[in-house]
Order: sequence, then C-alpha cells, then structure tokens
Amino acid sequence: MTMVSFIVNSKPVTLETDLSRRLLDVLRDDLGLTGTKEGCGEGECGACQVYLDGDLVNSCMVPMANVIGKSVLTIEGFSETEAYRQIEAAYIEEGAVQCGYCIPGMVMATGALLRSNPHPDLEAIKDGLSGNICRCTGYQTIFKAVERASKEEVKK
Amino acid sequence: MTLEHIRPESLHDLLKAMDTADYTLFAGGTDLMIRKRQWQGASRRFEEPIAFINQLKELRGIEDLGDHYRIGALTTQEEMATSGILPDYLRDPYHQMATLAIRNIATVGGNIINAASVGDSLPLLMALDAEVVLESLAGERTLPVTELIIDKYRTRRKSNEILTRVMIPKEDFTGYYYKKLGQRKASILSKLSIILLYRKKETLEDLRIAVGAVNDKPVRLPAAEKTLLATGDLAGYLKSLSEAFESADDKRSTKEYRETVSLALIKQELEKLFS
Ligand SMILES: Cc1cc2nc3c(=O)[nH]c(=O)nc-3n(C[C@@H](O)[C@@H](O)[C@H](O)COP(=O)(O)OP(=O)(O)OC[C@H]3O[C@@H](n4cnc5c(N)ncnc54)[C@H](O)[C@@H]3O)c2cc1C
Ligand code: FES
Ligand code: FES
Repeated sequence: MTMVSFIVNSKPVTLETDLSRRLLDVLRDDLGLTGTKEGCGEGECGACQVYLDGDLVNSCMVPMANVIGKSVLTIEGFSETEAYRQIEAAYIEEGAVQCGYCIPGMVMATGALLRSNPHPDLEAIKDGLSGNICRCTGYQTIFKAVERASKEEVKK
Repeated sequence: MTLEHIRPESLHDLLKAMDTADYTLFAGGTDLMIRKRQWQGASRRFEEPIAFINQLKELRGIEDLGDHYRIGALTTQEEMATSGILPDYLRDPYHQMATLAIRNIATVGGNIINAASVGDSLPLLMALDAEVVLESLAGERTLPVTELIIDKYRTRRKSNEILTRVMIPKEDFTGYYYKKLGQRKASILSKLSIILLYRKKETLEDLRIAVGAVNDKPVRLPAAEKTLLATGDLAGYLKSLSEAFESADDKRSTKEYRETVSLALIKQELEKLFS
C-alpha cells in the first residue's frame, strides 16, 4: 500500500491504496463517486470515462500509479460546468437517454469532442463517440443530441 | 503479500532497479491491464515485480531533429495523431488506432514492445526504417524496428533494457496509402493493415510497402521493392509477397481473406502508381 495524492473534481485527495488499483475502483468504492460506471472493464465500452488532466480516458485502464499528482474530473464534477448543462439539455431535448447506463461516459466523450471540435459533422461525431457503447438507443438520438449541443450558443 | 511495485522518479533510478531484478515495465497499461484480467474489481497482484514508468517525463515528446523525428517512448498515440510536427502518413495510422480514450493513455513504446501481430504501428515503423534506442545501466544500443521484433509478442529487448525513444528518418514522400481493415470501422483490432509510402516526381523514386496482421510479424520485402522500382514488374512483386505470407485462420478472420484482400488492395494501388 502507498499513500497517493491527486485531485478529484477540484478537491485534493490523499489516500492509501495499491499502485496497481484501478482509478475506477477508487472513484466508486473509496470516494463514492458512482456516476462513473463499469461496463466491460476492458477499455471497450466507455462507461467508465473521466478526464485525467483534461484528457478523456477509460478509468478501468488507469492504475493509481498513473494518477499521482494529476487532476481527475468525473461526471459529478463535470455536471457543475456550463458545457455540461448545454450537453444535458441537448440529450433531454433529443430523448437520447434510455436506461442511462452509458450516458455518463457518452456525456464525458461529448464534452471532449466539443472542446476539440466545437462544430463536428456527423462523421466527426461518430469518430468522437466510437469508444462508447450503448445497449439501448441505437445511437441516432445520441448523434442528434451532440449535434444540437454543438449548435447551442455558449451561454455564460 | 503484494509484490514489489516501484515508481521511480528518474530514468537513472529505474535503470538501477532493473539492473538488480526483473521488472515488468508498466507504461499506459492498455495491454497489461487486459492481459492481467484478474485485475478487475478489488486490488490485484502481478506475479512479478512492476515498475511504473509513465511519470518519466524525459521519455515523452516529439522532436524534429532535421533528418529524423525523435519520439519519446512514452509519447501517447493521441499525441502522435494530433502532432503539429509530424506528416500525415505518420499521424493517420495512429489516429486509426483504438479510440480517443485509449489513445490518450496508450504509448508509442508500449505498442512496439508488446509486439502484437496486430500492432498497428509496426508496419508503419518498419516501412519507414525506424530505429529504437534501448537503454540499460550499461549504456544504449540502437536497433532497427524490423530487427527488434522477432515475432508475435517477442522482441530482442533484454530484461534490463527500457525502450527510451524511436528515431524515424524524415523522407520527402509525395504520397501514401494506408488501409486498416477490421470487423467495423472504428475501435477494432486489424484483420489486416497496409501501408504504402512513395515518392513520385517524373518517375517513381521511392516505394515502401508493409503489411500488418497477416503474419506474426509485419511483412516488408525491401529487396523485392527495389526490383519492383527498377523493373515495374508488379506481378513479380505480388508473387514474392504472396510467397512471404504465412497467415493462419483465427478469430478475426481467415488466411484466405487476409492474403487475397492484401494482394488485391496492393495490386490496385500499384497499378495506379505505375500507370
Ligand atoms: C480497447 C482497446 C483498443 C485497442 N486498439 C488497438 C488498435 O486499434 N491498434 C493497436 O495496434 N493496438 C490497439 N490496442 C492496444 C494498444 O493500446 C497497445 O498496444 C498500446 O499501444 C500499448 O501501450 P501502453 O503504454 O498502454 O502499454 P503497456 O500495457 O503499459 O505495455 C505493453 C508492453 O510493452 C512493455 N513496455 C511498455 N513501455 C515500454 C518501454 N518504454 N520499454 C520497454 N518495454 C515497455 C510493457 O512491459 C508491456 O509488455 C488497443 C487496446 C485496447 C484496450
Ligand atoms: S468499463 Fe472501462 S471501457 Fe468499459
Ligand atoms: S441508454 Fe442504455 S446503454 Fe445507452
């Protein structure tokens, strides 16, 4: 066990853990941040996506050794931002949520996409969400939601 | 009891540790986390000591050194895919690997040392005559990627050596063709991949062809490329290539599919180039 320090949703955290433990488990089990989901545990489905120093990553693939000194933003932290509120409104408007299990990851991936490409076309949207699997929607409403979110004026 | 896990703050500290014991080096972990499936859920253990290396900043970054690019082993695939320094023929194959959330973690060095037959950077690096630098406490040595890779999951890296950087000669190619074929368009391991790089001015001056995911190690035939360039004998080149293929059926596709499609795609591209 090792003491590790990092930042989660703007708050400094220090805890004792194995360096090989997955960030996903620390978020859900130690910190109670259960918005981040586990689907496949193999980097394929995107349900576990968070930002690590601003970059979209699958938290099931990241050991705590690679989180030390870094900043993690989960869906709980992201939901405090204006960018999130725009994406949420668009998902609701398009009816893009069914069971909801994939949605925290979809929303994180949508946020990452719109940050690097504020006006993506359909191909870019598909590429941006290609690491997220949804069992329910068939994706079309989700693509529309991303498109809608990209068209909303950025409100302060 | 957990086995020893170390996370050295400098390359020198790492090399000293590697001199005394065999460590599994852990970079981004996108191969290792999958290979150690028992890792799911609670804390888990490796059967061997682990050295985490991702924090070694000196092993990261892309530089243009005039006649070649110097790529730190810990550079991520996404940094390759979006680099402002690198040409498209280098960025494109990295962009087509995995997905953004994996590319943000997965490293250039990890894809090479993992040496999977489906490792998408290997045909590209072989076609570019790229070299890797391996370092141990005793010093450095440089090896062409094509020599480093023995076959599937096997390399000539010694257990006390770390891959520190990749050196890619800069070439003034005028065009390239890259095709990665899988079960679906994105986020998929290759059934086969083809990279073709060329310099064509009045005539075709340079031509490189490598095929990934067919054999255990990507196929490149430098001697046959030279003959092709000199003679324009497409059929002769394709025959050499087909003789070099030693694919087998697996869960991703069949021998026949891989070999037939590779040859057809390369033929089609070569016909355009030599027309
Ligand atoms: C969902 C998913 C999709 C993927 N899609 C693709 C794809 O499309 N194409 C593809 O080619 N691959 C794909 N991969 C695999 C790809 O992500 C890895 O091969 C990656 O490049 C490995 O880098 P890493 O840093 O994560 O390696 P790690 O898992 O950390 O290490 C891999 C191996 O390399 C060794 N190693 C790492 N760095 C060094 C070093 N500097 N010196 C010496 N040894 C070292 C490790 O000991 C280990 O044996 C995918 C993986 C996942 C999970
Ligand atoms: S749980 Fe991490 S990608 Fe599926
Ligand atoms: S809404 Fe159910 S998995 Fe996407």
